[in-house]
Amino acid sequence: MTSDTTAQHVPSALMRQTLLNRDLVRPATNRPVIRMLPQLRVVKLGGRAILDKGRDAILSVIDELKQALPERNLLIATGAGIRGRHVMGVSLDMGLPTGVLAALASSEAEQNGHIIAALLAEHGVSYLPHTTVGRQLAVHLAASPAAVCNGFPPYELFDHPPAVGKIPQHRTDAGAFLIADAYGAKQLVYISDVDGIHDADPRQSSGAKLLKSVTVDELSGMNLKTLPIERIVLDLMRSAKHMTQIQVVNGLERGNITGALAGKHVGTIVRR
Amino acid sequence: MGNASSAIESILSGASLTDVDVLKATESFPDYAVLPNVSVVKVGGQSLIDRGKAAVFPVVEELETARKKHKLLIGTGAGTRARHLYALAADLGLPTGVLTDIGTAVAGENAAILGYLMAKYGVPVVNVSEFAALPLFLAERNAAIFPGMPPYDMWQHVPSEGLIPPYRTDAGCYLVAEVYGCKQMIYVKDEDGLFTANPKQDSKAKLIPKATVDEVIAMDLPDLVIEGPVLELMRNARHVKSVQVINGLKPGLLTKALAGEHVGTLITAA
Repeated sequence: MTSDTTAQHVPSALMRQTLLNRDLVRPATNRPVIRMLPQLRVVKLGGRAILDKGRDAILSVIDELKQALPERNLLIATGAGIRGRHVMGVSLDMGLPTGVLAALASSEAEQNGHIIAALLAEHGVSYLPHTTVGRQLAVHLAASPAAVCNGFPPYELFDHPPAVGKIPQHRTDAGAFLIADAYGAKQLVYISDVDGIHDADPRQSSGAKLLKSVTVDELSGMNLKTLPIERIVLDLMRSAKHMTQIQVVNGLERGNITGALAGKHVGTIVRR
Repeated sequence: MGNASSAIESILSGASLTDVDVLKATESFPDYAVLPNVSVVKVGGQSLIDRGKAAVFPVVEELETARKKHKLLIGTGAGTRARHLYALAADLGLPTGVLTDIGTAVAGENAAILGYLMAKYGVPVVNVSEFAALPLFLAERNAAIFPGMPPYDMWQHVPSEGLIPPYRTDAGCYLVAEVYGCKQMIYVKDEDGLFTANPKQDSKAKLIPKATVDEVIAMDLPDLVIEGPVLELMRNARHVKSVQVINGLKPGLLTKALAGEHVGTLITAA
């Protein structure tokens, strides 16, 4: 080291850059992204949609997931559901910040993950914490037909302050999307308790019509009051490297999960 | 609090959290500041730590003196080794999540270096997974060091162009300050603040002493002294509505900034 204050640089295409000048960054980062796990299928199990409904709904979903096990390469991400909402409600009342809400609700999604993993344990399926999903998913899926993870991304205290309100934006739909895209997964299926995305909330409007197929732009343009998936997923789809299509299916109807995992169109397909 | 209690009711009753009316109702809750007397100071990687002893030792001494008056959370940047990793991994077509994971380690190395330098003052390095112990360290030692990267790993947002992780150590340190409701956020870099262009490449670049987030975005500058996503995060801030970027190569500025003086570029949310 010299005794002056000159920085010592490691030679690289990005040396000395702030990484914020697009014209300088572009030439060094314009390669297409590889698919790390091209056979991976990610399934997000809704907390409120499936887990909160209890034994019958959960065991029916588990039964269908078991049928998908022989094909291997399944990552099952769980939602938080009503306990996540409760802990966010208690924390909101105390004025705690969004990041704290995210960390606490994430803990509840994890508990749902442990429940799903326990039901699939005899088939060699375990719950994997974030660090293992991020770094050792390959070996786990080589040794086991499936793994279960927390749908929440590991943002926790570092979740972004939302533009409106204080509920964390990166919840379990966003987390499942981000990990599916990072690994270059083959597909991502959201298991809901409605048939897909409707032109109005089907829980409130009996005349709501199912959208079988819709683009991200069309869906954003409709300004629907509610969606069965987190809104931020649409934004994430716009910049995704691989995951340009998702499907939302009704997991309470027998055969839908199996169909969707076999690549059939049984719910709403959202495309970029 | 009528609005607030009805917000909790609707959240518990299973109202969709995608419903903007439900989200709006959560605005009415107060914002509790968790660590309101703490100042977050980010020590740059490429801008300071990569310069070695001549740049780092004076900053460490200034932090040690400041610690007697201020409670400090000291975050670290990553720097030139992260740039090497990003360039290598991007050339191999690895995803942004992998770049984030390996870049995070570099900020951790720099936190370890600062930790060894401040060990004799009893200042610990605290990793994100151990943040629950921060209040004790701040109460007992008035300071703790943490690696500045947010723990997004494989779940990092993908940039609309290229592969570089968009939320890096500037964003991570800012989010620490914001979530804990801290008093201030100071970025210690190697320039006097934000310039109209990168002053290392353009001798005509002019210092911008003060600007709002909207103004900085409207300037559409070719280069920035602070990660762009920090500006977006600041728009929605509950607590930390301004940040200051100062030159850590000039002794005394950090002390002044901690005392609330304007000695670099002040960026405000509005």
